[in-house]
Amino acid sequence: MKLTRLFLLAISASLFVSCSNDDDNDPKGVYDKGFFILNEGNSGGGSVSFASDDLANFTADVYKTANAGDFAGVYLQNIFFDGDKAYIIAGGSNVINVVNRYSFKLIAKVDSGLANPRYGVIKDGKAYVTNANTYSYSNPATGDTDDYIAVIDLATNKVESKIELKATANRILLENGKLYITDSYNDKVLVVNPTTKALETPVTIGYSGDSMEVKDGILYVLRAPYGDNRSEIVKVKLSDKSVTKITFPKSLDRAGYLDIYNDKVYYTSNKSVYAISPSATEASTTPILTASLPTGGSIYGFAVENNKIYIADGGDFSSNSKAYIYNLSGVSQKELTVGVGPNGFYFNN
Amino acid sequence: MTLKKYFAFSLLLLCQFIWAQKDSITSLKEVLVSDSNLKKYSASQSVLKLNDSVINKNEALLTDLLNFNSTIYFKEYGRGMLSTVAFRGTTSSQTAVIWNGININSQMNGSTDFNTISGSDYNSISVKAGGGSVIYGSGAVGGTVHLNNDLAFYNRFENNLKLDYGSFNTIGINYKTNISNEKWSAQIGFSKNSSTNDYKYLNRYTWKGEQRWNQNGQYDVITLSANLGYKFDAKNSLKLYTQTSNTDRNTSLITETETPSKYINGFNRNLLEYDGDFGKFKANFKTAYIFENYQYYPDNSLNQYTYGKTESLITKADVGYTIFKSTQVNGILDYNRTKGYGSGFGDNTREISSAALLVKQDFSKDWKNEFGIRKEFTDNYKSPVLFNLGSSYQFGKLYNLKLNLSRNFRIPTFNDLYWEEGGNPDLKPESSYQAEIGNVFTFKNISLTQTLYYIKITDLLRWVPGSGGIWRPENTDKVNSYGAETLLSWKKQYGKNYFGANATYAYTVSENTETDKQLFFVPFNKVTTAVSYSRNRISAYYQFLYNGFVYTQADNDPNEIVDAYTVSNIGIDYDFKFLSSFKLGFQVLNLWNENYESLENRPMPGRNFNLYINLKF
Repeated sequence: MKLTRLFLLAISASLFVSCSNDDDNDPKGVYDKGFFILNEGNSGGGSVSFASDDLANFTADVYKTANAGDFAGVYLQNIFFDGDKAYIIAGGSNVINVVNRYSFKLIAKVDSGLANPRYGVIKDGKAYVTNANTYSYSNPATGDTDDYIAVIDLATNKVESKIELKATANRILLENGKLYITDSYNDKVLVVNPTTKALETPVTIGYSGDSMEVKDGILYVLRAPYGDNRSEIVKVKLSDKSVTKITFPKSLDRAGYLDIYNDKVYYTSNKSVYAISPSATEASTTPILTASLPTGGSIYGFAVENNKIYIADGGDFSSNSKAYIYNLSGVSQKELTVGVGPNGFYFNN
Repeated sequence: MTLKKYFAFSLLLLCQFIWAQKDSITSLKEVLVSDSNLKKYSASQSVLKLNDSVINKNEALLTDLLNFNSTIYFKEYGRGMLSTVAFRGTTSSQTAVIWNGININSQMNGSTDFNTISGSDYNSISVKAGGGSVIYGSGAVGGTVHLNNDLAFYNRFENNLKLDYGSFNTIGINYKTNISNEKWSAQIGFSKNSSTNDYKYLNRYTWKGEQRWNQNGQYDVITLSANLGYKFDAKNSLKLYTQTSNTDRNTSLITETETPSKYINGFNRNLLEYDGDFGKFKANFKTAYIFENYQYYPDNSLNQYTYGKTESLITKADVGYTIFKSTQVNGILDYNRTKGYGSGFGDNTREISSAALLVKQDFSKDWKNEFGIRKEFTDNYKSPVLFNLGSSYQFGKLYNLKLNLSRNFRIPTFNDLYWEEGGNPDLKPESSYQAEIGNVFTFKNISLTQTLYYIKITDLLRWVPGSGGIWRPENTDKVNSYGAETLLSWKKQYGKNYFGANATYAYTVSENTETDKQLFFVPFNKVTTAVSYSRNRISAYYQFLYNGFVYTQADNDPNEIVDAYTVSNIGIDYDFKFLSSFKLGFQVLNLWNENYESLENRPMPGRNFNLYINLKF
């Protein structure tokens, strides 16, 4: 059963690769056909690393290499793409660096209208970027209700309007013309219609919702509440916003990240990666792999793509950390020394 | 004032600094030093004393004074911004700052920001290298910096006013008055040092090609001091030291797009001290109340802030007894109660008591020994037994050998213990063993001090990311720090020409024993030099600082460093001899327009200027 599945998977993957090869063979730049590792950095600034898909080529600091003398900013949070461009969000610097995704040369910066920007998505020539704005530790009155979406006109790289969310906001996803937003301090998935800029009825999923992905009209949200509360995958059927849950056993408390790839839902807990079928009703407690992170290390970035599992160790935030790459059976393929605090993988194909 | 006094005074002005063993204070009569233990129990260690003439030659804030004149390394978040130290390769909370004998490191974060202190508020500032926890308590690991106000008892009414105006609208008003007779002594001081601090970054441009400059870097440091002494008779005296300060600073931006924030902090210190001198028997009682607070505004434009405050009550009884002519014993009991409250760490109180015994034995004029032991008692942490053992032997006129061995510590702070979330109430103090050998050579007008040291630090606190992304302090690291410090001083008179030169060099290795990596933000090399010249009414000086590169990451990634830099200052002043002294001076700072930073992305200013008037009347 397992073997045949793998076999099928391998065939379909090779088909996919050969197809895309036919269409487009020439790399569009130095950083085509590979992936970026975003390094959040500490107060001294973040960086972006690049590795080719075959893991043969690696550049530790792409941004600095391509843009000597310019500073990407502090606390790099997210990268999103549009056409030939990549947008790098520096949360601590209220800036989005717009670069060519294949050369990483700086094109422009979105440098006003942002306040602690977090994550972004693209729709019809516009970027929708969540902004945490002020925080309740210093602004107890409105810190938890002043988050907004900055709507950025990608032709001018200017924030053209804001959508007030009246809640906290973090990760954002675009599906079928709607924006879905999670945040761990919010017990709801916010739903926004970007065309009308109207807030639609949110979906209550419980606190600590974080990574999410849509498959076949169902939104999968991983939530990992604090304290003695079980982690869950919350499934929201987007057509009627009905909710079902897969509650994890205690051994999977403080689950980390979720990613759906090739009809499997992958998720992490502590230093391990697990997978279940999208139709599963129970969590798997048998890890595909347990990353051999150093003491004090923790999974801080996670992705499954190109038949590989990618794990970033957050590290100690004062040293370069590592990215660990495994095949889908959990066999280690490569370790890469990246920058400080790697928090995400972005595939450039 | 007699001619002789004038002569002595001008001599004082000449030397940039004076070694402790040739303490200038001893030449003036009837001065009550605020911290008698500093002199009494430092024979086996090296103390660098910076008197007011040196203080006046440097920029107002303490960072500059110590950066250009001592072996201490500074990490500055831009000019006038947060400034922390590494002394002998230790962390910023392992250098204790001592105000008139009282440890004033922040109870909240354990360290002192040297840009919140104006040098002119003190009569002298001493830098004592090496451990001192037996006398000064927590944080005296790498060394101690002493801010002293000494009260003199003779008839005088002296005023000193220094006005500065410099580049970037840097304004200094520093005033001090001394009023005293044989019974009373009062010293009142006021200092205000501010700057719009909007300097251009040399050769740095935004992506649009605009010149970059230091945005949101304005600061204003105001301090008011009043010190009062009364001598009841030859045996009994009472002293009161008070100081209030407020530092209002924006935090300079590292990118133009960042949200401008600001940080306001202040303190209020009061110390009442009784001194009794009954021949063989001496008594010193101190009571101090120290208040510190801060407010951090993450966004300047909003009235939203986080804050923290601590109030400390310190009482200290120090009873000294001379057993034999050669042997003195001091017994010290100490009680400290600190109440802290803030948005980050709730409301907590900490009580610490301690008992210490100090013995000083002078076998002969040339052979001096020191011994000290101290133990703290508190519910908060397990406290190690601290000790200090030292010996100094003078071989002829030329050579003085000093040996010192000590155990020192740094206690967890309110942030470490109680921060919400993450504070760890089960922390141990950081503790260290330290050994040093000092060689002091004195030949004619030259004094050369060389000290080799070795420090073994265990249970070093570090905030590490824990589960769920919550950072938490842990006693994780072990560090071995060793190195050499060289201090050189020379002065010479040729007719009416007075020359002086001073230099320091520190070689520092500070290794995490697990990784064998150098601690980040500890330079291997630091050099300072100062030469001065004066003739009649003119005096001039030149200062030089070389700061070796530092790693900015714990893994010593060779690409992640702050480059080495050399900075020079030059100054000249002319005394119009109007009133008791009327000096007009001019300084060029960063003379060679060095493009440098002490912390990544935080450039320091290029060549800049300062004009001052120094009036004594």
